[in-house]
Amino acid sequence: MTNMNDVVSQPGFGTSPHASGVDLGQVPAKMTVRDLNFYYNEFHALKNIAMDVPEKKVTAIIGPSGCGKSTLLRIFNRIYAIYPGLRAQGEIVLDGENILDPKYSMNRLRSKVGMVFQKPVPFPMTIFENVAYGIRHHEKLSRQKMEERVEQALRGAALWDEVKDKLRQSALGLSGGQQQRLCIARGIALKPEVLLLDEPTSALDPIATSRIEQLVEELKKDFTIVIVTHNMQQAARCSDMTAFMYMGELIEFDRTEKIFTKPDKKQTEDYITGRFG
Amino acid sequence: MSSALYTSRRVKNVLAMIFSVIATGIGLLFLAWILWETLSQGISALKPQLFTKITAYREEGGLANAMVGSLILNTLGILIATPIGVAAGTWLAEYSRRSRLGPTIRFLNDILLSAPSIVLGLFVYTIVVLPSKYLTDGAVTFSGVAGGIALALIALPVIVRTTDEMLRLVPGTLREAALSLGVPQWKLTLQILVRSARSGIVTGVLLALARISGETAPLLFTAFGNNFMTFNPLDKMPSLPQIIYEYTKDPSPDINVLAWAGAFVLTMFVLALSLIARFVFSRSKVSHD
Repeated sequence: MTNMNDVVSQPGFGTSPHASGVDLGQVPAKMTVRDLNFYYNEFHALKNIAMDVPEKKVTAIIGPSGCGKSTLLRIFNRIYAIYPGLRAQGEIVLDGENILDPKYSMNRLRSKVGMVFQKPVPFPMTIFENVAYGIRHHEKLSRQKMEERVEQALRGAALWDEVKDKLRQSALGLSGGQQQRLCIARGIALKPEVLLLDEPTSALDPIATSRIEQLVEELKKDFTIVIVTHNMQQAARCSDMTAFMYMGELIEFDRTEKIFTKPDKKQTEDYITGRFG
Repeated sequence: MSSALYTSRRVKNVLAMIFSVIATGIGLLFLAWILWETLSQGISALKPQLFTKITAYREEGGLANAMVGSLILNTLGILIATPIGVAAGTWLAEYSRRSRLGPTIRFLNDILLSAPSIVLGLFVYTIVVLPSKYLTDGAVTFSGVAGGIALALIALPVIVRTTDEMLRLVPGTLREAALSLGVPQWKLTLQILVRSARSGIVTGVLLALARISGETAPLLFTAFGNNFMTFNPLDKMPSLPQIIYEYTKDPSPDINVLAWAGAFVLTMFVLALSLIARFVFSRSKVSHD
């Protein structure tokens, strides 16, 4: 462990503009969050968040309910913007451009940043159409190319073998775990660069959960993954970096191993060891 | 673990059960009674000629023209109300989130929902029937179209309301999932949300149809009535409820019997519609898990 990063420069408190928290070593940052503040109408939900999301790694966001972890995730693809009264200030730089800039095309953002939600939400159409639906909006593909893309996405989500004979059946007939993998397939079918997972296993049983976790391990070869989870073991098992949030602040952001073995902050330690939360 | 507690709960449970059964029984009793009464009173007129002969033959005739008229009027009403109602309901549920206009329109729609149907009939009389005199050199112009418009005004708020409610039942996560793929709002609405809520919307349309097929008042000054068979929507047009209304006032007992038979047919039709609506809706619930 030559590369232990102990250089934690006041993470989360955003006192310095470079308060990214961690030296990521060799890994370049895919997304850089700076001075991010978020409001639900008057309520100040996120306070001066700063973090660097490393490329092709799994970054977990943990923290007690209401700490703002899902809120943070939902800013990364600006899905919050569909509700009135919500606003974000600051910047999130993805490949050199600020995605919070109103000029940044929503279409482009959503094709670069995919999202999977807590509950599996298949569309009321066939399994094939579920995956093809998003692709069709961004690209014109021939029938054959489309079939290839759908197969590729379903394989990527480790679902192909289970559904290859029933692609024309309704997706609503799949089990919860299969539906969630279908949603992942739908997300990766667009070939995004970042994949956001919002508590993707909280509605699933342990077997389905472990399949999704294995899948996350696979997916990080191709995608930068940010996962919000309630389950600390899950964060410990499948993430490279872990961010601990509390009351809208980013308390600590470091390598997962460090967060779970010797966190710098007392609050982190208390949460990890189950003393509060 | 006191057994007295359990006993008192059991007693309350039994009492509640008895009351609910009685209440259900009362409801069903009236339904059965209505069916029985209309059937027994109209049975002697329930023969093929009821469906083949027209009202112009009076006692010797049937209700064929009224049934055809009702069919045309209801179809017109539903054809006019459905596109407008579904579109308006969709707007309320999906697009009015950020505006104050949404709740206002929802409120106005509820008022229309409870507006007395005779008022709607008079309204259509004033804005459709009377002005069309100028197109026909002063001849009185009651017509199937006017009746259809009046029925549409009754069906419209029902369809708006159910569409709005059914779309709002679609989980928000489905919207987020589609939008997070970069799909625009209009595609999301047409291809995903309306599809998810489809059976609920169809149910709403069927209920609206059931509602308007029993309406008499709005047709009195619009479709007016006709003792002959007509397929021309610009003609005066008869309908089952209106014929029942006229026939129950008739001094001839044979005509009264025909009214009962008409009432029975109408009730069965509405009952069948409600059953179909329930069937459509329950099937959708299964597929949504």
